[in-house]
Amino acid sequence: MTTSQAPIPDVTTPPAEVKVEAPKRRSRGGMHRETWYDRLGLHLVMLILVAWSIIPFTWAFQNSIKFVRDIIGEEPKLWGYEPTAIAYNGFWFDDEDINMWYPLLFILAFATVAVILGQLGKRARQGAPWYLATVAVLAFGVWWFPNLFDTSRSYDYFVNSLIVTVLTVVISITIGCFAGYGLARYTGVSGAVILIVALGFRALPRSAFVLPYFFAANRLGILDSRLVLVLALVAVNQPFTIWMLRSFFMDVPKSLEEAAIMDGATRFGAFRRVIVPIMWPGIIATALFTLLLAYNEFLFVRVLAVTNFTLPVGIEAALAAEGPQLFNEIPAASVSITLPIIIVIILFQKHLVKGLGAGAVKG
Amino acid sequence: MFTLPSVIVMTVLMVFPLGTTLYLSFYRVLARNRFRLDACEDLGGSCFVGWKNYTDVLTDSEFWSAFWFTMKFLIVTVPIQTVFGLAVALLLDRVRRGRALYMAALLLPFIVTPVVGSVIVKDLFENNGLISWLYEVITGETFQLNAGNVDWAIFIQAIWHVMPFAMISLFAGLQSLPQERVEASAIDGAGFWRTLWHVKIPHLRSIFMFITMISLMDAYRVYDSVFIFSNDRFDNSRSLQMYAIEVAKDVGRVGKGNALSVLTVVGVMVILLPFLWISYKDQIAERA
Repeated sequence: MTTSQAPIPDVTTPPAEVKVEAPKRRSRGGMHRETWYDRLGLHLVMLILVAWSIIPFTWAFQNSIKFVRDIIGEEPKLWGYEPTAIAYNGFWFDDEDINMWYPLLFILAFATVAVILGQLGKRARQGAPWYLATVAVLAFGVWWFPNLFDTSRSYDYFVNSLIVTVLTVVISITIGCFAGYGLARYTGVSGAVILIVALGFRALPRSAFVLPYFFAANRLGILDSRLVLVLALVAVNQPFTIWMLRSFFMDVPKSLEEAAIMDGATRFGAFRRVIVPIMWPGIIATALFTLLLAYNEFLFVRVLAVTNFTLPVGIEAALAAEGPQLFNEIPAASVSITLPIIIVIILFQKHLVKGLGAGAVKG
Repeated sequence: MFTLPSVIVMTVLMVFPLGTTLYLSFYRVLARNRFRLDACEDLGGSCFVGWKNYTDVLTDSEFWSAFWFTMKFLIVTVPIQTVFGLAVALLLDRVRRGRALYMAALLLPFIVTPVVGSVIVKDLFENNGLISWLYEVITGETFQLNAGNVDWAIFIQAIWHVMPFAMISLFAGLQSLPQERVEASAIDGAGFWRTLWHVKIPHLRSIFMFITMISLMDAYRVYDSVFIFSNDRFDNSRSLQMYAIEVAKDVGRVGKGNALSVLTVVGVMVILLPFLWISYKDQIAERA
């Protein structure tokens, strides 16, 4: 698990460093010099791999903008079909005659405002108020949308997904930060025991917890609520959060908070004012994985929610209802659910790679 | 103590439910009266059934079919995705231009919602899907997902889904390999395979351990994709966790469901104990 023989330098090489390294790598592969057709071959292989990764997505996207008749023909039509938003309409709205340009415009308008505010926040010296404004604008948009358009149940599932995900991330990162910090600094056997027990919990199948949750929630009358989902997700995610945050906290030199304590800060004050600010990249990486876990959760939602699903169970429920509209509505739903994830990759790719790399090498 | 909130959460929300699962696995649980345990005393007789739930599970042929499916899933997917991931990581390590773009595209299957990933991959195998169409064009026969080939469709989906994890981890490891070691072996006249075998793989040893452990954990409790592929369609291709949930959701068999969960937990612990022990040793060594 831990680093092997050689001291391993920080894996989380930012792109800048990769560029610095690049000239050295030219000698890779021994005496043999890399020629242009070597490079061409490499890129061809990479493109094939990319195709293997994304063809299911492109296929789903194509189907999502087709009429059913273009999907179930003799052979699949790759081009020359008439694009339509009818499938998205079917999945997201109850009103069949809605002009799909209006909701699209609405979303684009809010997205633009959010991007502008976010960029301003990035440039401003004090980013926080701008980011808060961004969140407020997006929240307002989410709230306002169903007042303007006749949305279907899927929109409720989307809102559930959003709320459950945000709450899970906030709660589990807050608790996890304390624990990760504590475990990174405390060097006793009980610390190691907590870590290993947490790792053991990480391995447990969901089915080992879900029934007691179901009974308890049933007793407390919170079955089918967002609360029980958040609780369950925070719990199963705790081991992972602790391990990952701990590995990031280990990188922070002890002298930093010692200096702060010397200057009269309390231990907690030192943690909050000195350690957390320089830890942001690590915290963001951990938060991203928590976000994905909560957004992607299927089993818990399927058992603990009866009607208030989140999106993954929403798509399963849509699958259960049979009919010809399934041919394009399910792909449309898939594309819609994937879209936020693609945005996350675009915005945070560096953090994701960093998080995965850190997990593996520092493990 | 900074760890307190987290330990409380884990105790209340994990240890306690686990205990409940263990406890219930020895009882007959009735759904009426909101799952009260004394409910069956009203009907006369005790709720405590001893090991009966366990013997029920162990003599259940459906349980064994789910068990063997899960084992097959482990044995097929974990090695393939690790080796595949290593190959892609080695390639990615050589790419200089456009690496971030390739990485983004290759990561997508890993972070997409598993249910969605399963649905869209399954669509390729269904009628009018890309794969079934290509199969028809090449062989002239129609392709149909059936009990015989659905296992392989599930395995392919799993490899598609998890390979990027192995890839990124191993790639991070390769990036941390001191360049001089590779150069030194090149000067000594080692070719690609010998460098790989004697320099790179030893360096990645701890990462292989990590990947194997995490993939074993995740493969053992696979649920989402198997559910999407075989629910109500292919009863012989159910994973352990899927079968456990199915039994437990069936009100008459809650006790049996719990026993099944306990057995599942025991199974994963048997598989992981060596890994946990090594990690524990590492932790202690690190502290000393």
